[in-house]
Amino acid sequence: MKSNTPMLERAGLVAGLVAGLGALAPRPADAGAFPYPVSQETLKNGLRVLFVPMASPGLAAYYTAVRTGSRNEIEAGHTGFAHFFEHMMFRGTKANPNFDGKMAEFGWHNNAFTSDDQTVYTDFGPASRLGDVIALEADRFRNLSYAEPAFRTEALAVLGEYNKSAAAPWLKLEETLAGTAFTKHTYRHTTLGYLADIQAMPGKYAYSKKFHQRFYRPDNCIVIVVGDYDRAAVLAQIETHYGAWSGKADQPKIPVEPAQTAERRAAVAWPHPTMPRVLMGYKVPAAADHKADATLDVVYDYLFGETGSLHKTLVLEKQIAEPFQAWSQAHRDPGLWAVLGTGKAPEHLPEIERAVDAAIAELQAGHIDEAQLARIKSNQRYSLILELEDPESVAEQLAWTVSVTGELDAIDRYMAALDALTPADVAAFARERLVPAGRTVVTLTQATTEVKK
Amino acid sequence: MSARTRTLGRLARCVAVTLLAAACGGPAPTVAPVEAPAIAPAPAAPATAAPVVEPTLFTLPANESPAVAIRLLFRSGFADDPADAPGLTALAAQWMAEGGTRSLTAFDLKQKLYPWAARIGVDVEADMTVFTATVHRDHLAEFVPLLAEVVGSPRWEAAEFERLRRDAIDDIEKRLRSSDDENLGKRTLDQMLYPNHPYGHFAGGSVAGMKAATPDAVRAHAARVFGKARLTIGVAGGYPADLPERLKSALAGLPDGQGTTALPTAVAAPERVRIVEKDAPAVAISMGAAVAFNRTDPDFTALMVGVSAFGEHRQFHGRLMQRMREARGLNYGDYSYAEHFTQEPGGTFPAVNIARRQQTFTIWVRPVQPGDAVFALRLALHEYDALLKDGLTDAEVKTAAQFLEGYTQLWAKNPQRRLGMALDDAFYGTPDRLAKFRAGLAGLTAAQVNAALRKHLPPVERLSIVLVAKDAAGLRDALISSKPSPKTYASEKPADLLAVDAVVAVRPFGLAPEAIRIVPVDQLF
Repeated sequence: MKSNTPMLERAGLVAGLVAGLGALAPRPADAGAFPYPVSQETLKNGLRVLFVPMASPGLAAYYTAVRTGSRNEIEAGHTGFAHFFEHMMFRGTKANPNFDGKMAEFGWHNNAFTSDDQTVYTDFGPASRLGDVIALEADRFRNLSYAEPAFRTEALAVLGEYNKSAAAPWLKLEETLAGTAFTKHTYRHTTLGYLADIQAMPGKYAYSKKFHQRFYRPDNCIVIVVGDYDRAAVLAQIETHYGAWSGKADQPKIPVEPAQTAERRAAVAWPHPTMPRVLMGYKVPAAADHKADATLDVVYDYLFGETGSLHKTLVLEKQIAEPFQAWSQAHRDPGLWAVLGTGKAPEHLPEIERAVDAAIAELQAGHIDEAQLARIKSNQRYSLILELEDPESVAEQLAWTVSVTGELDAIDRYMAALDALTPADVAAFARERLVPAGRTVVTLTQATTEVKK
Repeated sequence: MSARTRTLGRLARCVAVTLLAAACGGPAPTVAPVEAPAIAPAPAAPATAAPVVEPTLFTLPANESPAVAIRLLFRSGFADDPADAPGLTALAAQWMAEGGTRSLTAFDLKQKLYPWAARIGVDVEADMTVFTATVHRDHLAEFVPLLAEVVGSPRWEAAEFERLRRDAIDDIEKRLRSSDDENLGKRTLDQMLYPNHPYGHFAGGSVAGMKAATPDAVRAHAARVFGKARLTIGVAGGYPADLPERLKSALAGLPDGQGTTALPTAVAAPERVRIVEKDAPAVAISMGAAVAFNRTDPDFTALMVGVSAFGEHRQFHGRLMQRMREARGLNYGDYSYAEHFTQEPGGTFPAVNIARRQQTFTIWVRPVQPGDAVFALRLALHEYDALLKDGLTDAEVKTAAQFLEGYTQLWAKNPQRRLGMALDDAFYGTPDRLAKFRAGLAGLTAAQVNAALRKHLPPVERLSIVLVAKDAAGLRDALISSKPSPKTYASEKPADLLAVDAVVAVRPFGLAPEAIRIVPVDQLF
C-alpha cells in the first residue's frame, strides 16, 4: 500500500511526506492478510458499513470515508472545494448546532482529512459513547446546516491553512509537479486548491449547498467501526440513524488524462535558503491494480528505502543526498508515483538523477536480487502487524484503502499480489512504466542558485 | 520504515515553550526550579564491594500482543549539553541510533532489522533521551543483542559523524530558520524564557556549535550522560518474563556515567517581545512563561481542565480556538499548554517522555495575516487576561472535564505510549496519574478551576512574546504606540463580537521601546 502522502486535515496539514505505512502482510492465504476479522453490511440506501472487532478495552474508532476529494473538482474556479467543504461539516445542524462541543462532551477525539480521492471523518474515543457519536455523525451527514456568515468565516481558516503551508517548499513543489504532469485530469491541482480559488471561496455559499447534495450521499460513503463494541447494537444504531438518508451521489465525468509521450520538467526557484530537491514522478496505474501497486512499493524499498541501493550509495557512502522520501499516494484513477531526492548541494541534483536512471535501468534489465525481494515481502508482513496496534491506526488504514479502491478487501488483495511478485514482474513493470516518456521532474533550489544539468 | 521524514521534529519537537519576560522596564522575574523526584536507583551492592551502578528496570504487565515495546530511558538530554557545545547530546544520540554498531555498519544494521520491520529510534528532550524499539516477538532473541550494541557499543564511525553533523547544520540553516516559522517562534521563545540556562538552547544545537563538534568530544559526552546511573530499562507488550533481565545483562557494559546536575533558577530575558525578522508570508506567534508548578501539584487536575477549556491542543472546544478561528477566521488554530508540550509524531496526542524538571505555560497562535497580527495578539492577550480575571463558566469547565475524561484514555492506545507514560509517572513520582486525574474530575467546580488558574498561571504582564514577521520595525512601532488596530470582516458578525473587538482594538500594550527586541533570523541558533 502506498503512503498516505499529502492530505489535508481540518486541524493540520499532514505535512508532506508521511513515511510509507509500508505495512501490509499476509496471514494464511485462505484467511486473508489483514490481521483482524472484517465483516460488512450494506444498508438499503447504499451506505456500506465495515466492522472490525479488536481487543482495545473500552475504546472504539468510528470513521466515515466519503469517496469525494479534489478529484471531483471539475468546475473551473472551484479547486480546493472538497477540502473546504470538509471544514464546513463541523459547523453543525439545527438539532446540534455545536458539533465540536458535543464531541467534547462525549470525550471523543475527532478530526477529518481530505485527499485527492476521498474525505475521511475520524472519530476515536470511549466505546461507552459510541451510540451518541453515531447519532451525531448521522445528523451532520444528513442535516448539515450553516449560515452564510459562518461559511465566509471558515473560508478564512482555509486561507490560513494555505498560508501556514506556503511557508515551506512542499506546497509549491506539489503544485508544480501536479500542474506539470497533468494537463486534463483534476489531479493537476492540489487538494488545497489554487490560491485564487481559495481567496474566492467566501462567495461560493450556494455552491457549497449543492456540493453537499451532490456528494454527501449514502452510496458514496463507507462507515468503518473498529474496536471494542457490540456489533449488533452498533448496526441497529446505524440503521436507526442513517436508514432514512436518501439520494444518489453525483458521478462527475472526470477528464481523462491523455497519454504522456515525453518527459516533462519544471524548475522552482525558492526565495529562501533551502535544501535543493528533485522530485521525480512517474505515471502509474490506479491503486485498484494491486499488482502495480505492490510493485511500486517494492521498487521504492528496493532502490530508495533505508536498505535500498541508492540510499546506500548516495546517502551513506557518497553523502551527497539526504534519505529519499516517498511522495505518492494511492489513487482512484491512474496517477503519479513520485520520489523526492534531497541533495546536500545544488550541484548534487544531476548526479542524483543520473543515479536513479542507472538504478532503474538495472531493474529494467532484470538485475534484481531475489533475496532482497523476499526481505521486502517480509518487512511488509511484519509491518502490518506492528503498525496496526490500535483502533485508530486500523480505521485509518482501512479508510484509505477502501475508499480509494472501492474494495472492502483491498488489503488482502494487495498482499496477495505482493506475495506473488517475482523479479521478472518488477523488471517488466520498470520497462513499461519507469521510463522518461512517463516522467515529470521538478527541481527546487534557492532562487540565486544556478543548476547545471 | 520505507521512507524517512525530516528529522527536525525528532530534535525540535513541535510546540511552544516559553519563558517569562520581565514586566517592561522592571527586573526580570525569577522562577524557582521544581526538582522532580528521581527514578529510584537499583538497590546498592553488598557493603564490601565498590558501589555498583545498575540501571533501573521498569515493566508493564505482559500481554498477548505479538509486538514488544522497549524504551531505554536516560535521564539525560539537551540540558546536559556543555554550555559551549549545544547540541552534543542530540548528535551523540543520533550517531548511536543511526551510525551502526561495533559489529554492523549503519547500512548492515538497517538490513538486519528490515525484514523484521523492527525499529530503533531515539528522541532527545531537555531532561530525557529515550531509545525506542519495537519488534515482533519472533525476532526478540536476535534483536536484544543488536539493541544493546546500538546503545552500548556504537560504531562511532567518522563518516556517519560527518553525515549527521552536516544534517544538523542543514536542519538549522535550511529548515528551522528558513521554512518552519511556527517552530522557529517556539524555539526562540525557549531562548527568551531560559537565557543562561540549560533549557535555553535548541536541542539540535547551533550552527557554530555543530561546526565545532568533534567525534572525540561527542564520544566523551556520551560516556558521561548515557551511563547506567541514568538508565531505566522499560518493557511492555507481549514480552517473555526474562526479557528485562536479559536487557539488563546485555547493557551491563555501559559506563556508569555521571549523575544529573541541578538546574539553575530560570530568569527570563529582559525584553517582553522578541520579533524575529525574516521574509515570512504570515506572522507566527508564541508566548508564555516559566511556572513554579508541575503535574505533582494538587491543583494540576484543575489546571489541566482550565487550560483545556482555554485552548486544548488541536481541539475545537477551547475558548481561543472558538473565538480566534471559529468566530473570526483569524488563523488555523489557537491553543494553550499547562506544561511543556510536544505533539507525538503523526498524531495530536502529547508526546511521552518529554518530562522536565522545570515547566512552562505557553500559548500558541498559529500564523495570522500580517495585517491582522496586532489585532490577533491583542485578542489573545485580552482572552488570557479575561481567563484569569473573570474565569471560566460552569459549562466550559464541565465540557472540558468531560472531554478529558475520554480523551486521556486514548493516550494509552498502544504499548509504546503506555510504557512511556508510566516512565513519566515514575519520573514525577505520580503513579497511575491519569487514572487519578480522571477520578479527580468528579465534582470539580468552575470555582476550583478558576482559583487554580488565578493562583498558578502567570499574569498577562509576565508573558514573553515571540513574533516571526517580515515587517519587524512596523510591528515594533505598532506595539510601542498601541495605535488602534480595528478589525474588519467580509461577513456579518454578531453585535456582541463587534463589541469585544472594539475593546480589543484599542487595548494598550504598555511596552516601552526597550521591551521589544528585533533579531534578524540569521543571528538565531
